[in-house]
Amino acid sequence: MRHFCLLLLLVLACMKAAAAEPFLALDRQGARSLVDANSHALPTIIALWSSDCSHCKNNLKLFARMAAANPRLRLITIAVEPLSEELAVPLDRLGIPGARYAYGPESPDALAHALDPKWRGELPRTLLFDGNGGKEAVSGVMDEQGVRRHLRL
Amino acid sequence: MAIWMTHFHKLGAAAALATAVSVLPGSVSAAEPKEKAAMPGMGGMAKKARTELASSAAFAADGRLLAVAKQGEHLMLYRSDDQGASWSAPVIVNAQPEAISGDGENRPKIAFAQDGGVLVSWTKPLGKPNTGEVRLARSDDGGASFAAPITVHRDRQEITHRFEAITAGGDGRIYIAWIDKRDLESAKAAQKPYRGAAIYAAVSEDGGRSFKAEVKVADHSCECCRITTAVDTDGAPLFLWRHVFEPNERDHALAKLKTDGTPSAFQRATFDRWRIDGCPHHGPSLAVAPDGTRHAVWFNQKDGEGRVFYGRLTANGVDGQRFVGGEKAAHADLAVAGRRVAITWKEFDGETTQLHAEVSDDGGASFKPRVLAATGGASDQARAIKRGNDLFVFWRTEREGMRVFELR
Repeated sequence: MRHFCLLLLLVLACMKAAAAEPFLALDRQGARSLVDANSHALPTIIALWSSDCSHCKNNLKLFARMAAANPRLRLITIAVEPLSEELAVPLDRLGIPGARYAYGPESPDALAHALDPKWRGELPRTLLFDGNGGKEAVSGVMDEQGVRRHLRL
Repeated sequence: MAIWMTHFHKLGAAAALATAVSVLPGSVSAAEPKEKAAMPGMGGMAKKARTELASSAAFAADGRLLAVAKQGEHLMLYRSDDQGASWSAPVIVNAQPEAISGDGENRPKIAFAQDGGVLVSWTKPLGKPNTGEVRLARSDDGGASFAAPITVHRDRQEITHRFEAITAGGDGRIYIAWIDKRDLESAKAAQKPYRGAAIYAAVSEDGGRSFKAEVKVADHSCECCRITTAVDTDGAPLFLWRHVFEPNERDHALAKLKTDGTPSAFQRATFDRWRIDGCPHHGPSLAVAPDGTRHAVWFNQKDGEGRVFYGRLTANGVDGQRFVGGEKAAHADLAVAGRRVAITWKEFDGETTQLHAEVSDDGGASFKPRVLAATGGASDQARAIKRGNDLFVFWRTEREGMRVFELR
């Protein structure tokens, strides 16, 4: 199973190199599933960002670098604004891998609550899953040491 | 269905607490501007047009209510003679279409010149991310028609000039201030560090038809929180914004401007010491009572908890600081009419977004809470507005359109 997972990751990594992942519209149910700690069997970073947030780019670059160095680390990005084609531009420019989500047509308040009830809208906001059911949420720019600590890497 | 009914009744009961009037989709409404179609190549994704709800409303001196909202590349001005129960057909503010910022902390604004001119300001985003120009259009006929808009600043670099706030001073001058990144960009070019952005201001001595060259109000503002403005008892304009105090404390700063736009006074206004390298996206609101009391609401994280606060800003700190609403209270606004103070905010309860208000009849010593409405869809920030001694809340929601609630 482990080998299969690694193979799958390798295939996914190759696919990513070929083309950036398309954006998916997030709904309430999808948001709840994504942030369910028990659904993450691998260390996973879910990075909330927006096109308006200059500080978010620092985190995204760090997470991308860490994901490139550690094939077990998964990165998922969620743009906390309505889906638009412009959202891919900064992610492509920074070479940010991983599944890409943006807000679908539901109430932004409801989507934000489903993602993280404690979150008050400040960005960057990062949800860190250690792959063993552990989950932490951090607001603001992070450093590698902090990310590793929260992911228990 | 049961859930829907529950919320329908909750909404009905809440609305009964206030004198509420609304514009429903289907009538003359700014509820759902149809904009961008879903992108090609995004199979299975949202097909719904993006709705940008950010809007403002204000009562003119003649008692007429004006509201401004974005529709595609135009701003539309709506007028109501019955406190928002019905609205005129909209008037296009900018005849030539252009990009307009209209979501989150960005919104068009309305102000009135001393000669009765109606002023609408907005931010026009430019090509690069987070860049923009501050624009202003003036009407000489109460909002029936507008002259071509102007850009209020001389600096035309493709950089941030955004999140403007506009007010008419007691001296008849028009003051407009915004977040400006020219100093940050200069510092970057010189490879020097620079905290945050800056606040710049421009002054008009002809009722908003033209502006004098802009001046710097302060270095080191936060980058993307709305600014607020109020007129002090001596007629001078006050601006309150989220600042970045050393090393990265995102508290608020208050400046009083002279007639040339430079500050005559600058002070730290809040002391919650929220240290974050990030974007709170949560700007303050300020109103000055006839006795000079500076009432304010703002959001900060204090002792690890992000909350909305109310307090009275004084030269020696904050008087009477307290929480507003619950843990999910957000984007509060405030208005003052004589001894009366109104605070409004929205708060998500897990299912719907509730519109709340608190009203004080004793200058802010005590407040009575009210629940005004709720919506299950997207909503703009609530705006507290006044007409003479009457206080109102204006709220635009995706499903219900523009609504006005009188706070009796």
